[in-house]
Amino acid sequence: MNKVAILVDHLTVNYGSQCVLRDLSLEVPVGTIFGFLGRNGAGKTTTIKTLLGIRRPTAGKVEVLGYDVVRQHIEVCSHVGYVSETHNLYDYLNITQMCAFCRDTSRRWKQNIVDTYLDLFALPRTQKIKQFSKGMKTQLALSLAMGSEPDILILDEPTADLDPIARELFLHTLIGDIAAAGKTVFFSSHILSDIEAVADHVAVIEGGRIVLSAELDELRETHKILRLTYPEGLPPAELEYLQSLPHVSQAKQEGQVVQLHTTGMVNELVSLIKERLYPPHDIETLHTDLGSVLLEYIKGIRNDH
Amino acid sequence: MISFAYKYTILVTGERHVAIWLNVNIHSGIPIYIQIVEQVQHALDVGVLQPGDYLPPVRELASELTIAPNTIVKAYNELQHMGLIESRPGRGTIVTAQANALRHEKRVEALYERLHAVVHDAANMGIDGQEFLAAVQREIGSAFDKRRELT
Repeated sequence: MNKVAILVDHLTVNYGSQCVLRDLSLEVPVGTIFGFLGRNGAGKTTTIKTLLGIRRPTAGKVEVLGYDVVRQHIEVCSHVGYVSETHNLYDYLNITQMCAFCRDTSRRWKQNIVDTYLDLFALPRTQKIKQFSKGMKTQLALSLAMGSEPDILILDEPTADLDPIARELFLHTLIGDIAAAGKTVFFSSHILSDIEAVADHVAVIEGGRIVLSAELDELRETHKILRLTYPEGLPPAELEYLQSLPHVSQAKQEGQVVQLHTTGMVNELVSLIKERLYPPHDIETLHTDLGSVLLEYIKGIRNDH
Repeated sequence: MISFAYKYTILVTGERHVAIWLNVNIHSGIPIYIQIVEQVQHALDVGVLQPGDYLPPVRELASELTIAPNTIVKAYNELQHMGLIESRPGRGTIVTAQANALRHEKRVEALYERLHAVVHDAANMGIDGQEFLAAVQREIGSAFDKRRELT
């Protein structure tokens, strides 16, 4: 299961003279739930539009299931389900009419699958879409996206407009039905807890560049805090040394206690520190909160690339 | 603090159903696949899971715990690598016959590691070697005597 669903290779996108994505590379393995995290204006939607072939790359290439998104746009579209931020729905239609429209414009259409989701979200079939809340529109857009039995589902900020209960139902559906059926899910969000709750991979985009791309469990494994307790206050040179160690992103001192934020090689660091001329008398390894780690990447404090 | 606690019923050989509690905490900072591995090991240690028992299919467990299926696959791979479970094509994932023996071995190993740490702590605290040995012998006396009385 090491096939690649989405491959972005040194992608650059300019809007006129403005560079929106810079030399962006990304790999989304088949079957993953990939969270794409970034602030407003970081380049999330532009990346997604390029994945779908809506926007052309200025440089670099993008492949979806091995198809080039520029040259093989039709193939890409027939394998991808897309739920946009703005929901491309016709307000003056009702669900039944909207389904008929989608059926006529899709290569494949499974009405029974759509019906399952419409029932799950309890959406009214005969009411005009104009009267729907934002959350209902998101649910409808997802139901319709599932109709063409996509292998990859791309969602742009799907939970932004949902209330907590609708959000939980939505995420549960995403995992329990869609990902569990082996489909790849790529969703952008600026909500940390969504990513933490359901994704297994995460990439963080900041200022049009990828600053982090990793498995969530790998982040949990490598990002730890080492709490070192010294018999007495340690010399400034020693703190500088600790700060300079590889995989130490931050060193904070408070009296006898030093906290090191690590990004990996925890055991190696511990044995290095134990062999120092001023060794701490106690070393404790603490788990970090993934949310705060991701937040530091979003803020641009950290950068792995 | 959100933690997902779901009761999952595993069909055990015969007609018995055993409930196993898998508690996965996404905020604990501990990799989720490791949480699953540790809880399956614990279930083996306390006898909730037995050789021959089936583990839930990946998709079902993913849906049940609302956890990415790949994470469950990773946990199952790790358990398989340890020799504790094996997947039988078309039949599911089953606890191996040698799982209990393997766990026992690991637990003995862990026990001696703890002993090592305790002895070193005693030395570091400046406790007299003879005094420490006497304390250990007293403990051995009471623990093993109690066991003898029981059997």
